[in-house]
Amino acid sequence: MTERDVDQQLVERVQRGDKHAFDLLVSKYQRRLGRLISRFVRDAAEAEDVTQDAFIKAYRALPGFRGESAFYTWLYRIGINTAKNHLLANKRRAPTSTPFDAEDAESFEEASLLREVNTPENELMSKQVVDVVQASLQQLPEDLRSALTLREIEGLSYEEIAGVMNCPVGTVRSRIFRAREAVAENLRPLLETSKGKRW
Amino acid sequence: MKQEISALMDGELFDDDVGMVMDHLKRDHATRMNWATYHLIGDVLRQPDHIHSDLSAKVHERMRDEPALLVSRGHAVKQKMRTFALSAVASLSAVGVVAWMSLQISPEIAPQLAMQQAAMRPASMQIQPKSDNYLMAHQEFSPSTDVNGGASYIRTVSYGIDDSPPKNNQTEKQAK
Repeated sequence: MTERDVDQQLVERVQRGDKHAFDLLVSKYQRRLGRLISRFVRDAAEAEDVTQDAFIKAYRALPGFRGESAFYTWLYRIGINTAKNHLLANKRRAPTSTPFDAEDAESFEEASLLREVNTPENELMSKQVVDVVQASLQQLPEDLRSALTLREIEGLSYEEIAGVMNCPVGTVRSRIFRAREAVAENLRPLLETSKGKRW
Repeated sequence: MKQEISALMDGELFDDDVGMVMDHLKRDHATRMNWATYHLIGDVLRQPDHIHSDLSAKVHERMRDEPALLVSRGHAVKQKMRTFALSAVASLSAVGVVAWMSLQISPEIAPQLAMQQAAMRPASMQIQPKSDNYLMAHQEFSPSTDVNGGASYIRTVSYGIDDSPPKNNQTEKQAK
């Protein structure tokens, strides 16, 4: 089972009336979709609203999703259309005149743009989250840190990581979980500090 | 359960366990929080400059007004069948058109068509003798010199016995 299969199973659960399955898709894709939409809508608050709108539109359109493309590709198309419609409704032009697709948009590196539109409170919180994750990663034993990095940054499969680290796949599974859980342990107190605004 | 969540989000959970873990995710809020936290960690590691506040609570709040979807399995199967049927109809139509066209050129009609085409050939023109030099000089640009379309781009060369192993004439393409 691949990540795409997992998404497809979640989609089918939503199609059978399981709203919680949609929450899981939102948790997974919210930052990627938000990043994409912020390419079009530069105001942070507006971008957040448009991202929420895009998810709601996706939910309403899910009965028509047949799984011919990956869920995230379909979702990102909805995100782009929602952002463009938002700009049209406000009689503004998209900030780029060059047409690009979801993957292109996602790969843009323009962190300064997001920093510009973030409020000071959001910026502080996001900085703390990043600091905690990075500090926790550095504290991990080498084998756990390598396993998590190879998975999350390099995008390797468990089998490929097992080949790189010369260990069984089961060990890779265990190392990645232990690494995530160690980082999550340090992160949870921070995430639960602001009431109603979990990060 | 946390380890299963970790494997599930990587698409590395055993197929037999997926249903059970997803059922657990549906029932247990804390398990969904673990899913969200693990994804946040991944996003921070990949794109530390693009972290923003969690929208899932707000989306969840707005989803309260949305009816639960009930797409029947039959509907999904029907959609897939419809796609398949349309593809099949398109393929059959294409085959039908080709078959119909080939039937139009039956063995009885073919000689007549050939005669008609012969009749349609342009009559040969009398070329003025003074044009000969011009035509000779530019014959390489004339498509009529092509035997198979590319002959004008091929040059025949030969090598002396002393300086080349091959004894036969060889051709090489001339970059134009």
